[in-house]
Amino acid sequence: MMLVEVFAKTLVDRWRAMTIGSMVLGLMFLGAMAAYRTIDISVYTSLPEAMLSMMNVPADADVASLAYGAVFTTYGALTLAGLAIAAGSAAIAGEERSGTIGLLLANPISRANVVMSKAASMALLTTFGAVILWVAGRVSPLILDVSTAGIHIEALILHLLINALFYGFLAWAIGAWTGRRGLAAGMSSAVMIIGLVAAGVLPLIKGWEDLARLFPWYYFAHSSPQLNGVDVGHLAVLTAGVVGFVAIGIVGVDRRDLRDRTAGVSLLDRVRANPLVQRLVGRRLGRAWVSSITVKTMSDHQILAIVVGAVMFLLMGLAMGPMYSAMSTELLEMADTLPEELLALVGGEDMSTPEGFYQAETFSMMAPIATIAIAAAMGGRALAGEEADRTMGLLLASPISRTRVVLEKTLAMTAMTVGVGAVIFAGVMGGSWISDLGMNAANVAATSALATLLGLLFGAVTLALSAATGRVALSVYTSVGLALALYLMNAFFPLSDQLAGWARWSPFYYYLTDNPLVAGMPWGHGAVLVALTVVPVLAAVALFNRRDLRQG
Amino acid sequence: MIGHDVAAIKTEGLTKHYDDVKALIDLTVTVDQGEVFGFLGPNGAGKTTTIRTILDEIRPTSGLAWILGMDCHDQSVEIRHQLGYLPADLALYPNMTARSLLTYFANLRGGVDWTYVEELAERLDSDLDRRLEDLSSGNRQKVGLIQAFMNRPRLLVMDEPSAGLDPIMQRELQTMMREVAAEGRTVFLSSHALGEVQRVADRVGIIRAGRLVALETVADLRAKALRRIEFTFERPPDASMFNGVPGVRDVTADNRHLVVSFDGTMQALLAALHDGNRLIDISTEDADLDEIFLTYYRGDGAHRDPARSNERDRAEAEAVG
Repeated sequence: MMLVEVFAKTLVDRWRAMTIGSMVLGLMFLGAMAAYRTIDISVYTSLPEAMLSMMNVPADADVASLAYGAVFTTYGALTLAGLAIAAGSAAIAGEERSGTIGLLLANPISRANVVMSKAASMALLTTFGAVILWVAGRVSPLILDVSTAGIHIEALILHLLINALFYGFLAWAIGAWTGRRGLAAGMSSAVMIIGLVAAGVLPLIKGWEDLARLFPWYYFAHSSPQLNGVDVGHLAVLTAGVVGFVAIGIVGVDRRDLRDRTAGVSLLDRVRANPLVQRLVGRRLGRAWVSSITVKTMSDHQILAIVVGAVMFLLMGLAMGPMYSAMSTELLEMADTLPEELLALVGGEDMSTPEGFYQAETFSMMAPIATIAIAAAMGGRALAGEEADRTMGLLLASPISRTRVVLEKTLAMTAMTVGVGAVIFAGVMGGSWISDLGMNAANVAATSALATLLGLLFGAVTLALSAATGRVALSVYTSVGLALALYLMNAFFPLSDQLAGWARWSPFYYYLTDNPLVAGMPWGHGAVLVALTVVPVLAAVALFNRRDLRQG
Repeated sequence: MIGHDVAAIKTEGLTKHYDDVKALIDLTVTVDQGEVFGFLGPNGAGKTTTIRTILDEIRPTSGLAWILGMDCHDQSVEIRHQLGYLPADLALYPNMTARSLLTYFANLRGGVDWTYVEELAERLDSDLDRRLEDLSSGNRQKVGLIQAFMNRPRLLVMDEPSAGLDPIMQRELQTMMREVAAEGRTVFLSSHALGEVQRVADRVGIIRAGRLVALETVADLRAKALRRIEFTFERPPDASMFNGVPGVRDVTADNRHLVVSFDGTMQALLAALHDGNRLIDISTEDADLDEIFLTYYRGDGAHRDPARSNERDRAEAEAVG
């Protein structure tokens, strides 16, 4: 049975993020299609077939198939699944975090009813997002007068939707089982990201191709529904996963104690509260954690930093070295034969060199995701989080100015993001050392530093929004949406001569455009990123000083 | 060094509007050093808005405020060196122990006398080594109180401090507030409970619908305090026995019970008890704040003769509320 009220309230609470996220993506699809329309796509036909299949491009590629493949199958799928994860993890664990679950369950309704109603609204929201993408996918070719003959757009949208629901229900099930929203969102995102990487890299390695089937993203990434239509087998695998998660969620929520306002209590806090650990670590360090706002803020986000850092270090850093070495020699030779201009044109990296491989796998997407994730999370919670938790009044009863609070929080965000950047550097250098790739440490450091600056830039934007509004979700969603739009802008506009100049308006342009892994630090670009970061921090100080604090 | 002659808190025409809601209207009040000042009002009257405004959490629409002679906005940081604050509806970091929370805030103040913290914890019977999320709301409130008292502030601002405390702890808190005042320091106590304010405060400001409607010493307020006194007799009593006793407002008889609304001296009332009907029980309770307000004050804060309180005044008062 469904509870209409719970269902409707959840929809009302969450529709904005879904609408904005999908609309951004839809608009970027229009932009990408416009970019592809202006280039001579006959260059694709000159590429070897193995290369084309690696890039998920059909041999008889046309503008439409390139645009759908490039925008929807990676960014579209990640965004929709990410939004589904946000909705799914908040379903019941979110009510526990805000302490409203007791009130909700004081009504004569069962827990199973509540979680199922929440699941239904999450599914509807995700469907709504998919419909927006479908509209964008249908309308854009009409606007641009591009033929979509042979493209199965409905099949593509169906695959996107089922894939997103898989991760949404995974987050929902973990949240229902544990009551921990952060854990649910984090674990589901990790499963998604690790799967995305594994499904991309493992098939390139001889003898390891089938291992990719262990990762759920494989059943999305290797369907190409826009070309082949609905792949019933792959959809069945993902749907079976959804059914399993529903069962786990319903059983999970009924078997446990409900939690009450457990914001921020992490596994590490429990470890630290353990008497044995306390004796080992001693009071001294225990006190150090609360020595200042900066240190305490850092300690509040240690779990996220550790998870992000571990993924980047082990998977995207260390593991990529041996992966590169294990890549089939044919692939390397084939990539070697390609002229570099051609690669640049089709947006691929020269995967035959270690630098190109690391750039494609680690730096182009994952490193910015990692640094933006930590910086935006901290920037969003820094000020608005204390207001939402109603601790800001108490904090500001201490003899410290609002300016100092903003600056100390900024310092904490900077330190943690730099930490993640340093871990990326260490991981890549470690991978290079293990497989004896001989990558240049200064260049890796420069690229890691640029990734860190990029993260800090969006962290600072989030901080300014959080300083101005006192609202965590609004700040984080807005700046992450902005980051996504600017990323896509930099990825697709350079394809078109008319639009290429506009890419300079994206901060991502100042990250990898000058090939820092090979060419070293582009100091001018670094300076642009620093300048773009300082402005929102100054704005945050000014905005936070002049505003009434929220009362939670 | 701040002299003892400056006011602990002084506001002039302090006004705060939220969009079109007038949360605080033209508040002018002076709180002297060394007193416990009770700030009394029903829920939503503007007590918390006043506190948040003078502490620079929110900014006044108009008007001025000083704490210990310092401007509440421009010298906010200096003020907070002298301040202890317990917010309403207290929220603390759930993942910390009380000890680490207090250490954190002590560090932000540049250190406090830790033996005093231990002493406070002992008085309030508070276990500092448990995580805050595992504490009951009353025990969390105690941690908030320790936090407010621990730096021996010149001014202690507390918003509904006895929320969640049991009666024994409420008494202990009242003793602690009196001790603060006895040392020449100041307590600004916001509360909706008349009894609590009467027990501990020297002076009382009554706020209603954003306006200060009365400023009295507790002694004066107490003299006005309307009480309901219920007598229980062995046999149904003679309802006219209190006729003519000064301060008797209303008498209702119900079988063996007699309920009297009364604001005179008890002596006169007891002297009026006569005849052979045996008195079994007397119980009295304070009239609630609204009743006092309706009986004694109009919206403009002017004093009313209680005897003339009637339905028309009541209607006026409600129009203000």
